[in-house]
Amino acid sequence: MIHFLVLSLFAALVGIVFGNVSNEAGKSRILYGLKVFGQFILAGLVIGWILYFIPLGNR
Amino acid sequence: MIKDFNSEVKVRRSEEGKFVNGEHHKRNEWLMGVAGWLIPGAGHLLQGRWQRGLMQGAAVVLMFLTGLWLGGHLFPTAAQDGQNANSLLQLPALVANGGTGVLYGLCWLTNTGFRENAQLSTFEYGNTFLLVAGLLNYIVMLDAFDIAVERKS
Repeated sequence: MIHFLVLSLFAALVGIVFGNVSNEAGKSRILYGLKVFGQFILAGLVIGWILYFIPLGNR
Repeated sequence: MIKDFNSEVKVRRSEEGKFVNGEHHKRNEWLMGVAGWLIPGAGHLLQGRWQRGLMQGAAVVLMFLTGLWLGGHLFPTAAQDGQNANSLLQLPALVANGGTGVLYGLCWLTNTGFRENAQLSTFEYGNTFLLVAGLLNYIVMLDAFDIAVERKS
């Protein structure tokens, strides 16, 4: 659970910065930040599931 | 010929509002950039952009502190014992860490956050947070510089 929380916090902080430095104005800026946040979460989940099916081998 | 070109550029720039009566506005754009690097968000705050400065500065500082809390470690400026040319491999990470400016300086002065905590399950997350905090601050710094030279609004 803490892994997902950390991922969410990371995505939120990057989304805040990316949204603020974007060339968009007003509401579009917020929407861009939310889009970046969503994309980070989605990418994290997709990569997580891909890695889940890759065997770790005997360790 | 060159003089004509320069005057043409000046006229063109005056239409964008950078030159007024042939004089360049001294906005101390380099100062804004350096301030933004040293203190996250300061470049925007000095230009009166409170909301952007506070949000971006808080995001960078929070990311840095979370990285330390998760057990991440900062990369030192000097090579450690037993490292020779291998220490060059940590140069990119050092550059990323150094992006946090005063935060890295404070940790360096107090010798905080340089110890590896590999026993913690979240130490790799911490490293990533610390590296990305510095990289984000470089973006924030460049944004403050761009606003100062009126490339952005």
